[in-house]
Amino acid sequence: MNPYYIKEKKVSNTIIEIKGLTKNFDDQQVLRGIDLNIHENEFLTLLGPSGCGKTTILRIIAGFEEPSQGEVLFSGEDLTKIPSYKREVNTVFQKYSLFPFLNVYDNVAFGLNLKKVDKEIIHEKVTKMLGLVGLQGFEKRDVTLLSGGQQQRVAIARALVNEPKVLLLDEPLGALDAKLRKEMQTELKKIQQEVGITFIFVTHDQEEALSMSDTVVVLNDGVIQQIGTPIDIYNEPENRFVANFIGESNIIEGTMLDDCLVKFDDVEFVCVDKGFKKNEEIEVVLRPEDIKIVDLKDGQLRGKVVSEVFKGVHYEYIVQTDKRDYKVHTTEFYNLGIEVGMRLDPDDIHVMYTMEY
Amino acid sequence: MNKKNGIGAKLYITLCFMFFYLPILVTMFFSFNSSKSLTHFTGFSFRWYEKLIHDNSIMSAVYVSISIAIISTIISTVLGTITAIGLSRSRKLLKEWILNVNNFPIMNPDIVTAIGLMIFFSSLKIEKGYIPMLLSHIAFCTPYVITSVYPKVRRMDHNLANAAMDLGATPFQALTKVVIPMLKPGIFAGMLLAFTMSLDDFVVSYFVTGNGVENISIVVYNMSKRINPTINALSTILIVVVTVILVCVNVIPAIMRKNHKSTGMAYQTKAGTFGRRVVLASGIVLVLFIAGFSFNMSGAGKKVLKVYNAGEYIDKTLLDDFEKKYNCKVIYETFDSNESMYTKLQSGEKYDVLVPSDYMIERLIKEKYLQPIDWSLITNRDNVIEHLWTNEYDPKGKYTVPYFWGGVGIVYDRNVVDEKDLEEGWDILLNEKYKGNVYMYDSERDSFMIALKSLGYSMNTKSKKEYKEAYEWLIRQRDTMDPVYVGDDVMDNMISGNKAMAVVYSGDGAYVINENENLDFFLPDQGTNEWCDCMVITKDCKETTLANQFINFMLEEDVSEINEEYVGYDSAVKSTYEKFRDDYYLGNNACAPKLDNPLNETFRYQETELKQYCASLWTKVKSHQK
Repeated sequence: MNPYYIKEKKVSNTIIEIKGLTKNFDDQQVLRGIDLNIHENEFLTLLGPSGCGKTTILRIIAGFEEPSQGEVLFSGEDLTKIPSYKREVNTVFQKYSLFPFLNVYDNVAFGLNLKKVDKEIIHEKVTKMLGLVGLQGFEKRDVTLLSGGQQQRVAIARALVNEPKVLLLDEPLGALDAKLRKEMQTELKKIQQEVGITFIFVTHDQEEALSMSDTVVVLNDGVIQQIGTPIDIYNEPENRFVANFIGESNIIEGTMLDDCLVKFDDVEFVCVDKGFKKNEEIEVVLRPEDIKIVDLKDGQLRGKVVSEVFKGVHYEYIVQTDKRDYKVHTTEFYNLGIEVGMRLDPDDIHVMYTMEY
Repeated sequence: MNKKNGIGAKLYITLCFMFFYLPILVTMFFSFNSSKSLTHFTGFSFRWYEKLIHDNSIMSAVYVSISIAIISTIISTVLGTITAIGLSRSRKLLKEWILNVNNFPIMNPDIVTAIGLMIFFSSLKIEKGYIPMLLSHIAFCTPYVITSVYPKVRRMDHNLANAAMDLGATPFQALTKVVIPMLKPGIFAGMLLAFTMSLDDFVVSYFVTGNGVENISIVVYNMSKRINPTINALSTILIVVVTVILVCVNVIPAIMRKNHKSTGMAYQTKAGTFGRRVVLASGIVLVLFIAGFSFNMSGAGKKVLKVYNAGEYIDKTLLDDFEKKYNCKVIYETFDSNESMYTKLQSGEKYDVLVPSDYMIERLIKEKYLQPIDWSLITNRDNVIEHLWTNEYDPKGKYTVPYFWGGVGIVYDRNVVDEKDLEEGWDILLNEKYKGNVYMYDSERDSFMIALKSLGYSMNTKSKKEYKEAYEWLIRQRDTMDPVYVGDDVMDNMISGNKAMAVVYSGDGAYVINENENLDFFLPDQGTNEWCDCMVITKDCKETTLANQFINFMLEEDVSEINEEYVGYDSAVKSTYEKFRDDYYLGNNACAPKLDNPLNETFRYQETELKQYCASLWTKVKSHQK
């Protein structure tokens, strides 16, 4: 496998270091050796389908689960020896888990009350935090009567008011409707930048991951598939799983003839990928929006438009060639049944190693 | 249509409420009665409340009931809640298994649980009394708490505890500040259930207690011979207290919630009060526990005498006097019948002095359960009516000292019953002139005694043929006369003049005649049951001197006078007997009945086979009621 590397976005210190982490539930292994560095001020997203182990990682960091093997270091200290209530992390739960017998103010003040902070300071901090999440004037409201979005904000305020070094968010937007989710995405990003701490965000929604994160960690079946910036992940998926999971793609088996020369569907293409063995069997990822439809004579590939779906901003076509169907996104309109050509520029072609399983 | 429904519903609700609350109201009403009757209101007074406060045995029973209810409620609530929380996180199989097991004690008949616990404590050689009773109550209350808390735990979001710990709560704080407030309704319901189950438990307590520790229900049960309005007074107080508590628990949280929601800052103080409440609760448990223990142990170091007597068969102030006089401690327990006393002895319970009846004494002597009286200590022997010393149950006069005695006769309403008909003797009970106007005493041996005497047989006959004839006599009476078979409620019914005649014990007859001057009493010429209850000492008794001193004490003239005044039967002490005959009960034929009829007999011990035969016939008499 490729050595995973993290693109150093800002030079910042590692706050959480995970080494060789595994977790077994009974006879089922949900984490199979996770290595991951999480940095200060980073917005890191654990992305993967349900059951991939992303929530388990979060719960191990929070202290609700113990690792079966491996280390979790927090500022260099072994985190697994510290009980959850002493860790400098706070969690926003999937269904918020607000305390229904307390009002908004007391929910937010819960952590500070436990620390026996002076009441006036509590009042000041809670008020400020409710302002940050846009809930001024909601202090005495019954939390069970708030809308989903409002409960979400209370949950965030309740966690952040304790000034944790790391905030863990377990699919916090899952219960919201599409429009509210978009709003909260922007807001979360804004809050993260304002408080300036590390957010570890768990989601199965790739769009959410791409639009908010500094770093995305793609997980599948308890194994990290790829770590990178949203752009890296999208443009240079390292394997078929990532390519498939992040956005839509055409994945085609091919042969690497030489550096920057790849052959698939019996056509040779110039590309930008180097360092493969000669004639190595590889897979090629073509994003639907990178394929350009041109006149028949200019096309490197030729096919017939067999399906057309309007998607709002663009159309999605299926172009049928001798070898396979290509998915193409474009804003131009083409009639069904016409023959078209397709072109690929060198940097539209992304070559990856064949998946090992 | 709608309107009609409304009336129907209202009527239904009214009937329900009447059914539920009328008995309670009647009970409360009669607690203020100036006389002893439970059915006849003669005037307003606080007499029974005064009596209640001065009745040590009732007050200590109240203490036992309430302290056990409080401690067992607190402990079982804690246990049950922890179990419910733990269960919700266990594996499915274990969870289902435990929940099913948990239902056993709830569904089991109380009596099975009771006997199980009794055997359990005896086999561990744990002395019966306060502690076993408390442990048993905790044992049978806990399942109710689990059953009412568990559904709440299951419905709770499990991340709530995690959320609390995430915010810095230790596991214990998460429990007290989040989990328990979440489960509060369930815990509270469980607590109330446990408290009521414990407070009104009779069966289990009855089997596991001993050493004179009795709760309210045991005291009342043993009183059944003569329930007096003290119990009404006690019930009234309990009802008032429970009502006040219920109102408080329903109203106070509502007020608190209101305040809480309106301040928004109340949380801190609330969290504080929880801690204080826990401390308070544990304080209560500790204090009650120690008090209960010392209650159990009070008089430690002194010589102890265990007396087992029928309910309401002694003036208990005499026990205090005896304790003072001989610097000892009397543990006094009561039974409701000779048979239940015998069962208790069989279960291995040990007593020093018993007060059984004639035929039971014969059996105890036969089974070598008694030890001889030390006559050198019975200096008051000559106070006893001479002829009571000659009897068949203790022919050698070694084991018994007479206590109370009397006969069985008929109490009748002079305005209804014709004097001439009295000559028929027991056959008056077959005189159809009085059809539907007769109370029979619901007692197997006394009923057969009547039939056998009427037929001219001995009441101790061993002939099944004669029993069969007696059975037919009783069937005939039942079918032609429509008698009502009653227990001790016969007294109240006769005082109220509900029927023309009733079969009664002479002591009870004397009492009802005293309350209703239209009544009189007669002993049929065919002979009757001449009974005698005696004090005996068991072979288990170690404090023989003290036991003999106790018996001697009860024979003292002034002591027996106080005792007769309370009990109302004819004393075995001659001076007392004569005094009541010539003074208080002057002209009352039920007092000092003339038991000079040679046909009178005393019950003898019945062999098992005959007893079973007799019992089966009696069941038929009662079950084939038209």
